[in-house]
Amino acid sequence: MTDVLQPTEVALAKEETRRSRFGWWWLALLAGVVLLQYLVSSTAVPPLWDTAISGPIDQFATWARENRQIHPIFTGFFIPFSAAVDWGLTTIEAFLKWLPWFVLPLVVFLVIFRTGNWKMATVATLSMVYPGLVGLWDTTMETLSLMAIAVLIALAIGIPLGVLAARRPSVERLIRPVLDAMQTIPAPVYFIPVVLFFGIRRVPATIATVIYSLPPAVRLTTLGIQGVPQQSVEASDMFGSTPRQTLFKVQLPMAMPTIMTGINQTIMMALGIVVLATLLGAGGLGQEVLEALNQRRTGRGLAAGLAIVAVAMVLDRVGRSLAFADRTRPASRRYVFTSLLLVIGAIIVGRAMGWVTFPEVWEVSVFDPVDTAVRWGRDNLSFITRPVNDFIVAGLLIPVRDFLTLTVAWPVLLFVTGFICWRLKGVGLAIFSIFALLLVGLIGMWALSLETLTQVLAAVVISVAIAIPVGIWAGRNRRVDAALTPILDALQTIPSFVFIIPVILLFTVGQVPGIIAAVLYAIVPGIRITALGIRQVPEESIEASQTFGATPRQTMFGVRIPLAAPTIIAAVNQVIMMVLAMVIIAGLVGGGALGFETVRAVTRGETGLGFEVGISIVVMAIILDRLTYAWAMRLQPPTPSH
Amino acid sequence: MTGDVCLSVEHIWKVFGTRPDRAIEMVGRGATREEVHQATGCTIGVRDVSFDVGRGETFVVMGLSGSGKSTLIRCVSRLNEVTSGRVVLDGEDLTAMSDDQLRQVRRHKMSMVFQHFGLFPHRRVIDNAAYGLEIQGVDKDERYERANKVLEVVGLRGWEQSYPQQLSGGMQQRVGLARALTVDPEILFFDEPFSALDPLIRRDMQDELIRLQETLQRTIVFITHDFAEAIKLGDRIAIMKDGAFDQVGTATQLITDPATDYVQEFTKEIPKAKVLTTAAVLKPGRGGPNGRIVRLDDTLEGLLPALLEDESEIGVEDSDGKTVGVVDRQAVAKALEPDR
Repeated sequence: MTDVLQPTEVALAKEETRRSRFGWWWLALLAGVVLLQYLVSSTAVPPLWDTAISGPIDQFATWARENRQIHPIFTGFFIPFSAAVDWGLTTIEAFLKWLPWFVLPLVVFLVIFRTGNWKMATVATLSMVYPGLVGLWDTTMETLSLMAIAVLIALAIGIPLGVLAARRPSVERLIRPVLDAMQTIPAPVYFIPVVLFFGIRRVPATIATVIYSLPPAVRLTTLGIQGVPQQSVEASDMFGSTPRQTLFKVQLPMAMPTIMTGINQTIMMALGIVVLATLLGAGGLGQEVLEALNQRRTGRGLAAGLAIVAVAMVLDRVGRSLAFADRTRPASRRYVFTSLLLVIGAIIVGRAMGWVTFPEVWEVSVFDPVDTAVRWGRDNLSFITRPVNDFIVAGLLIPVRDFLTLTVAWPVLLFVTGFICWRLKGVGLAIFSIFALLLVGLIGMWALSLETLTQVLAAVVISVAIAIPVGIWAGRNRRVDAALTPILDALQTIPSFVFIIPVILLFTVGQVPGIIAAVLYAIVPGIRITALGIRQVPEESIEASQTFGATPRQTMFGVRIPLAAPTIIAAVNQVIMMVLAMVIIAGLVGGGALGFETVRAVTRGETGLGFEVGISIVVMAIILDRLTYAWAMRLQPPTPSH
Repeated sequence: MTGDVCLSVEHIWKVFGTRPDRAIEMVGRGATREEVHQATGCTIGVRDVSFDVGRGETFVVMGLSGSGKSTLIRCVSRLNEVTSGRVVLDGEDLTAMSDDQLRQVRRHKMSMVFQHFGLFPHRRVIDNAAYGLEIQGVDKDERYERANKVLEVVGLRGWEQSYPQQLSGGMQQRVGLARALTVDPEILFFDEPFSALDPLIRRDMQDELIRLQETLQRTIVFITHDFAEAIKLGDRIAIMKDGAFDQVGTATQLITDPATDYVQEFTKEIPKAKVLTTAAVLKPGRGGPNGRIVRLDDTLEGLLPALLEDESEIGVEDSDGKTVGVVDRQAVAKALEPDR
């Protein structure tokens, strides 16, 4: 928030001159562009450092592979650590498969029913049964065990770290940028170093999942503890509590709802990534989806995708019923006791009668009818899908890509990016962007990055064009909002990767499914945050405008939108980051560009390439994130400093 | 201050900012708060405040927002560290104590009631009330027994198993009061405890506190921004302004003899007839011609029937029945004059 304008007169005066000179800056920009374009004709940065980074890294990777069994850093740390994680995985998986299949649905029912919501409990229980019905019970258990271990590790690290950060500002200052980076970087990027150290298969998948799902656990713990009213902490101090007593008797219990929300988010993020971790050979539902898509067995892919959604739904509901349980009505001891008895009884009966695996006779084969339906859809809905496809490819992707890669000289791109960064944020970001982009070009990732950027831009344009008007509408109209809420809730629960499945079934493989999936994925927060911004405009400002006789339109464009603008730009920021993550993931299914290179790097162990791709993605992510963030900050009206 | 001193505050200063020494020195040379802030960036919270509180006395600090009264009580209870000066409780210097020593004093000798209650929403009323004992390590049966007794005293019987947020504001503050009383403290700090309550509830709570204090006889330091509340509760009252005390005295002293215009401003709004007692208008004398007698602690309002019937001087006697002087219409009329 240090970038918010300080409302001192000096700052205001500077702002004045800055505004009045703005015309000149545009002229300078134009002149620079023309000059650079005239001077340099090359459209790509010469890849002078083609092997400067990838070479040493590949050497290191080779060294790591050769010394994995000998070097103390592996034998002393990574190998025992991997072994421990692997042991945990095997144990949990064995336990889940040892349990009679109906125990898990029973537990789900009992946990949610405790809150008295029998409808939600029933739906969640049926969702828990679903994977069994489509023959994916064991696969689902594999996914669940990987998640369970990853979430346990993430919480074991995240919650104490969050507590520490809440109590020591210096720790918070230290870990905040790290968490920011972890959340800005698209997940597949850190698959690459993880693979290098932990090898391929389930352990690196677990580690990657831990890294990805750690930030909410830390952040929300810190937030929760900081949110405990000062008076309650002081009251506790005044009774002579030790810091530890205050922590365990007051701060942690009072922060519990927020911490539980953090745990819920950690679980949801873990599920999202566990599916992607297929790339690392994690097996489970993700692999099922990927194989099905690659083999064009759409029915199977869809069934597995739905299983992921079902698991996500169940976990979300269970998590929420734990997080938002009414504190004033704690579960009666009798309920907990009866539930435990029921569960133990179910285990004993199940094991004794041999009802352990999901009964095969119950499994329904949905694959063939789904295949048929999808084939029908692909053939008969082409009157919609084809024009959409053509519009995106011919109308957006090709012209933008050609413009960026064939027309514009590379220094012009650097210059313009630097200029925008400078105007919106400052010299620091401008210099960083120019050098970072130059680096991307020098290591030979220029063309691929521009191609990814093209896809990102296309998806962002479409997402924003949908999300902002819909968000504004929902922000103003309660009925629209009420109608959208369940849809958005559902979309938000679905792990990113799953979005690709239905889209890829209807469209041919290529860039378009990735873009559409990115749009579907990104419009949810886009709409949500925009609506929030519109709704947060103080009623008084609106009424003030109305008393001057403003038309609804004037009120909208003169008051509502300007006041909501910072929030709307924050929505755009969120859209961009989600689109970027999704475009990378879409590389899995033919999106090409950097995403595809990531997949190649991970699956073939081309570590050097992986780092180059990773650098390019991170550079793009950081620039886009900081730029939109700075833009949102600039739109914020000056606030008094004290 | 006569009798046994419980709490003694000696020349405490609280300066917020990075250069407190400079700020204190500037004030010493007569600089105002604003000048100090301009020059050093420091804010003077409490400026050289000293006072003693006797055992069983209710000492009220009254001030408007920004007067430094909350900072003062936070310094005295050591929620904030003082910049200089000493706070002595029962002969022990609180300001010099280590964290461990302070913790022991807090566990056994002092309690605080907060403006916004500071209750623990995740604990039932009984567990809120028993919190201090829990911290001391008192076992469950005993602490529930003691908490139950106190809850009954403050009128919360039957609410033990509820959660604080299920109670009304006034009842929540009763929980706050119970929580403070359960540890059986020597001294109670009240930081504007009733200002978040509705006027009628506030009056109930004030009456409740007076009633409790009759039997408990605790030492109380009470912070308020409400002059009427100060008059009603305080044995002695300090009027605080710009971090320092303008005047310290009994209600009668403040009303009959305000030290500054600022103090007088507050007394204007006060229904003097209800506050002042015969003592404030006492003249020397050996009793009236008609043999009528009033009591020394009767309010002026209470004198009115006697004054209506008797134009001449009326005798006044103290609680032991000894005649201590006389009153007449002129003296009372003068005391109630609006401009005083």
